[in-house]
Formats: sequence, C-alpha cells, structure tokens
Amino acid sequence: MIRFVVKRLWNGALTLAALVTLTFFVMRLAPGGPFSKNRKLSPEVIANIEATYHLDEPLWMQFGRFVWGLLRLDLGPSTRFRDYSVGDIIASGLPYSLTIGFWAVIVATTVGIALGVAGALRRNGFTDYAAGTIGVIGIAIPIFVIGPVMQAVFALKLSWVPVGGWNDGWRSLILPVIVLSLPNIAYISRLTRTSMIETMRENYVRTARAKGIGEWRTIWRHTLKGTLLPVIAYLGPATAAIITGSILIETIFALPGIGRHFVDAALNRDYPLVMGITLLYGGLLILFNIATDLVRAWLDPRLRHDG
Amino acid sequence: MKGTGLSNWLASAAMALALAVASPALATDGVLDRGIGSEWSSLDPHVNFDAAAGWIQSDAYEGLVNFDGEGKVIPGAAESWEVSEDGKTYTFRLREGLKWSNGDPLVAQQFVDGILRTLNPETASEKGYYFYSVIQIKGAEALANGETTDPATLGVTAPDDRTVVVEMETPAPHILDIMGSFQVAPLHGPSYAEAGSAVFIDPAKVVGNGAYVIKEVVPQSHVLLEANPNYWDAANVSIKQVKYHVTEDVVTELKRFQAGEIDITYDIPVNQIDQLKADMPDEVIIGPSTEVTYYTFNLTKPELQNIDVRRALSLAIDRELLQEKIVKGGAIPSYSYAGGFDPTYQGPTIPEASMTQADRNAKAQELMAAAGFGPDNPLKLNIVTTVAEDRIRLAQGISLMWKQTLGVEASVESLERKAWLDSFYAGTWDVFADNLVGDFAGAETFLAYMRPSADAGYNWDKPEFDAQMDVAASKADRAERNVELAKAEQILLDDVLFAPIAIEPFRRLVSKKVKGYAVSVAGYNNSQFLSLE
Repeated sequence: MIRFVVKRLWNGALTLAALVTLTFFVMRLAPGGPFSKNRKLSPEVIANIEATYHLDEPLWMQFGRFVWGLLRLDLGPSTRFRDYSVGDIIASGLPYSLTIGFWAVIVATTVGIALGVAGALRRNGFTDYAAGTIGVIGIAIPIFVIGPVMQAVFALKLSWVPVGGWNDGWRSLILPVIVLSLPNIAYISRLTRTSMIETMRENYVRTARAKGIGEWRTIWRHTLKGTLLPVIAYLGPATAAIITGSILIETIFALPGIGRHFVDAALNRDYPLVMGITLLYGGLLILFNIATDLVRAWLDPRLRHDG
Repeated sequence: MKGTGLSNWLASAAMALALAVASPALATDGVLDRGIGSEWSSLDPHVNFDAAAGWIQSDAYEGLVNFDGEGKVIPGAAESWEVSEDGKTYTFRLREGLKWSNGDPLVAQQFVDGILRTLNPETASEKGYYFYSVIQIKGAEALANGETTDPATLGVTAPDDRTVVVEMETPAPHILDIMGSFQVAPLHGPSYAEAGSAVFIDPAKVVGNGAYVIKEVVPQSHVLLEANPNYWDAANVSIKQVKYHVTEDVVTELKRFQAGEIDITYDIPVNQIDQLKADMPDEVIIGPSTEVTYYTFNLTKPELQNIDVRRALSLAIDRELLQEKIVKGGAIPSYSYAGGFDPTYQGPTIPEASMTQADRNAKAQELMAAAGFGPDNPLKLNIVTTVAEDRIRLAQGISLMWKQTLGVEASVESLERKAWLDSFYAGTWDVFADNLVGDFAGAETFLAYMRPSADAGYNWDKPEFDAQMDVAASKADRAERNVELAKAEQILLDDVLFAPIAIEPFRRLVSKKVKGYAVSVAGYNNSQFLSLE
C-alpha cells in the first residue's frame, strides 16, 4: 500500500513538473507582455520595469529563477496585481473557492446519491422520472443560463438572497452552491442509478437477499459499497475542479475566489500568476486522483494489487 | 504547494465558512456602493494606472488640486496657486493645518516626496511620464531614467511647509489637470519607511490625506472606505462609508444594481441600453469620456500610401449610422481627433464633415475609382481590432460600409487586448482599430501622443507637425495655445493618417438615492461631493 502511494506521488510529481515546464514556455509564445500598454513609455522606463520583474533576462534564466523560487515556496510577484505576490493572491482567493466548493461537493454527493438510489429502487416510478428530469436539466442547461435565471427569481424577484458578492455571510453562498452542484447532482445521480441497478443484479447481493436480510440492510451493507465505486472515481477529479473555483460561478455571482484569476492572469500576461494557478490546479487534480484511487482500493480489494 | 492534505483542506474550508458566517452582513444604510469593473491593479497611489482604481485613490488621497462634482479643477490640498509671467513656474500654497489620517501634520515636502517616489526607477511606476512628457518638469526625465538619483535636481521643491513650487521647461497651462491625487498623491514618509508598500494596502497601516481612509481590502471583492475625521473639509463629507465593489461581469452588475446592492455601476450592458433608458430614464447616465476611437491606416502598405484611397475609406464610413444602428453603445460620432469634449478647444474637423453621407459616399467612390480600384480590382484590407463585443461590431460595420460603398474587401481580425497592442508595433495590419484614453480632458493629450511624428508604429514622419506642436508648447495662455494646437490637428487630419470614428462614452447607472452625481468628462466623481437620500 505504501509503495503504491509513493509510486503514485512520484508519478504525480513528474506530471506536475512536465505541466509547469510546458506552461512556462508555451505562455511566452503568446504575443504581448505584462506591461504592453498603449501609452508610449520611454525605453528607459520600460527597461527598468522589465528589469524589476526580470523580464529582460533570457527565458532559460527566468525559468531557473522560477524553479529556484518554487523550491523556496516563493511564486514571485504578480505583474497584474502589483500590490500582491502570487502566494498572497492564492491565499486570499482559495478559502472562498474552497468554501463554495466544499459545500457544493457535499450537496452534490448527498443529493446525487440519494436521487440515484431512489431512482434505482423505484425504477420507472415517479421518483425515478423526477430524478431523471433533474438530471437532464442539470446536465443540459449550462451554468451561465441557470445562474442568471436563479438570480432573477430568488434575488431580484423574491429578494431571499443577494445577487452576488460576498457581503451577506452564508446567504451569499446559497445560489452559487446550488448552481455549482446542479450539474454534479445530475451526473452523480445518473452514475449511482446505473451502478446501483447493476450491483443489485450481482450474485452477492442476491445471496444477501436470499439469506433473508432486510431490504435496507442489504442496500446499506452490500449494495451501496459496490454502487459507489464509479461515483468515487468521478468525484476525485470533479472535486478538484469544483474546489479550485469555477470561473463561471465566480463571474456570475461576483465572488472573490481563485477561478477568475486564471483567465484574467492569462489575458494580462501575468506570467507568475499563471504559473502559480497552474501549479495549484495541477497539484490538486493529481492529489485528488491519488486520493480517489486510495478510497477505491479500500472499497474494492481487487484494485489493491494493481499497484 | 499549500494545503496538500485532505484535513488541511477541510480545515481551511471550515475556517473560511466560519469567517463567512461570523461576519455580520454590513448595514447597507449610509453606505455608498460603487462598481469599479475589474479588480484594481494597485492601491499604491504612485503606481496605480487604472482609471477605476483612480476613483478609490481620489477618495483616499488628495492632490494639490481636486475635482468637483462635474470634474472641474478646484483647490485641493492647495488653497491657491500662482503662475509666473512665463507660465513655467507654479507656486502652490497649501491650506493651513492640513493633517494625515493618523493626525500627523501634512507638509509641502511630502508632495515633493510623492513625485520623487513616482519617478524613482525602483518604484517601477508607469506614471512618471506625467512629469516629463505630459508636462516637462525640470529634472524629471533624468530621475525617471536613472541618470541621477539626486532629489535636489527635481524642479519640484518645498521652500517651506506650506509651499510647493513646480518649475517646468516649457509652459503648460494643463498642469492643473494633473495635479490631482491620481498623479501627485503625497507620501507619508515615516509610515512608508516603516511598513513599505503595505502603507497603501493594509488597512491597519494605511495613512492617507483624502476625504476617506481605506478600512477594508478584500481582493477580487471590494475596498471599504470610511470618512476621514482629520480631512480638512470633513464637515462637508456627507457619505460616511463608501464601498467599491469589483464588478467584472456587467450583466451581474446590472442585476446587483436592480437589487439595490450597487448604487453606481461601472458600466451598462450595451445590448440593454435602450431598454434601460425606457425603464429607468433618470438612472441611465451616458456622457463623453476622454477616450477616442479612430481607424489608423498602415502607411507602409503601397495601396494605402495614396492619400485619396485613405480619404475615400474615411468618407465611406457612416459614423452616425454606425453608432445609432450597429454599435449602439452610446459613443458620439466624431469627425475630428482631439476635439469634441473640451469646450475651450475649437479644433478642425475633416473637411467633408458638413456634407451629407450620400455626398461623402459619392466623393469616396470617385476617389476610389480614380485610384484605380473597382469591381474588377477590389482593394483588400485586414482590420485588426480587440475582442470586445462593441469593437468587433464596429469593425464589422465599417467593413460592411466599405464593401457596399467602395467594393473594398476588408476582413476583421479580432485579437485579445495584449496581442492587439503587440500587433500595432509589429505592423501586421492594414487598418488598426485604434483607441486612446487621454491623460486629461483636453485636446493636447491626444495631439502630444502623436509626437514625435516619426515614432514607431504610425510610420508618419511630419516635421511640420512637430514644429507646430513646438509652437503650441511655447504658449502659456490656454486660449492661444489651443489656437496653435488646432493648427497641429489640421496638419494631422489633412494627411488622413487615420479616420476619426467616435468619442467613447462612459455609461453608468446611478441610483435615484444618490444625489450630486454629474457628468464628468475627466472621469472624476469623488464620493465626498455625493450624498445619499
């Protein structure tokens, strides 16, 4: 087991290294720089600003500087947000993204699994159709449609929650969490339903039933465990994506999370910030994938020896 | 990598949630909520170069002059000023008993220090050019370029605690336009020496001299300001709290306005202007800003070296139709480059401005035919513009007009902003959808931008223009100077280096409960001059 973890971590580190190296050089191919402005600055002033941010050095040297900074956990200064270092920006935005993401994952898994189980148990019944409908809506209607509609109804019309911003404590969280969890509820409930139906046909479940174990006890002790395997496989990368902040959610609901920074940083050629967020996203994705594999191995002994 | 473990992650999520739940909703009463679009790039007054962040700055700091509700120059930290006979020396007299927000006395040398910090290469500020280019303060350029570090070489001095003297190489009557806090915020030396740049950002350490003090800074969310009791005019500051919200998405901003979360927006969604004008006519405020749009012709392209072709292209653009029916963003059609929003400047327009569009089109067709272009031999061009929706629509509209009137085949290439800027100097365009934001609400800022005419990018070498700008620069009297500037603009327009298109608007929704909000071309609407009903 430990060997498995170490091996996965090592592979993850290699992947991450390849990702940041590639990102570092590819982003420099885009035309324009962080200080391109349509104000003609004197060459001395431009040279001076570039020197401050080491943009005048050859690319390999800048890369070396980046790696050296990384080893000391210093991601450098942001060129777009001059008051902050990349570390500051991530530290300031991440808690917001984490909070929304955390609740969205909780809501998505509980509601999604509940709907899926209900659908599987009462196949083609009302619950199943209701869950199916929610599933189709959640997957088919994009966030940028559902978000504004919900704002119009619950914030503008009913005034239950604010339209956006993070100024009203938990009330600011409600809409973003719902909107962010909807597509995941949909996906998880479909996965759960299919998987549950399959699992219920498995011999060990039939055996349990044959032994006269009660309906709920069978579900709880035998069926659910097998059912959840594909859900957990989905949850790993999905969680990484959700908690690192959704640019759409953060834009629509004017939230101060980290997601918006990614696009903003790329558009503004904020090289250090792009690197910082790439590292964060890549790292989280890899870690959650490893975590997923561990949980699945724990749930399903067959996977433990694949290493 | 921080927070690698699940437990760490849960811990920070829980902590953040606790924070969110614990912080009580701020009372909306008495707070002015303003949208600023994207996040401020810096709250450091000597570094920040964004107009929207400049609003925060104008509330938190006061320059030698200030701008009233309509953006007119009024006394600020300086109660009065005198101009020398030759117009090159301005002597500002500070008010008596000025204080910083922490109660320390504010002295004249601190204004000098602010300018020195802006010019200091170590600050890496892009704003030094205000002092060596927009106006030419003695010694400013040498300091900015790092040729010297001796502060005594700067032509800004403080002979006593209440006097700031600015000496310039050439007269510049527009000096007052750049003596506000955006350019000349003073520097509180002791706190800066102790805390460094944190003194501008960290509410616990901030020391300012404006009508408000920064109380809370949440990146990507908001900046909260509170009235500064040590401000000299604190008694007349009606609104006690101002919150500047990051409102990156214009549609969300509109909804937040409708829900009462925002009192003054940063912008209005272009496609909803008509509807909003009908629904809430008193709350839609659209006026000219100091941003002009013009289509620049590439003088290195052989076909465009023929001035008649350039003129035909300019004439075939129906500027009114473009703004009214195609772009619909509230921009003001323009037939000149530098005029239009400065009432003191009577500048020239393109000679055909008084003709009807039908006549202009006819003339354009004649010129085009004479230049040898026709249905069998169409002129092919590419227009390079930014990806902003209204800019693309503008380019497509112009392309269509050229096609219909002149048979020109113009393709539209839209690039994101940084790539667009880069392409200008690379010259990879035939027609460049150009725009420029002026440094102040005057014609000179735009004309000075074209100088020296041989500068990279435009490939326009016109000694007459440079000479005429020198003549203008020698005039200390604003009216006389404007006459000379108008002659320079005439030279520029005569060469049809570009086709003027429009003066861009500012668009805001201002809640009825906000009183005192007026159209300010310069873009200053300090919160201290507003009140809430």
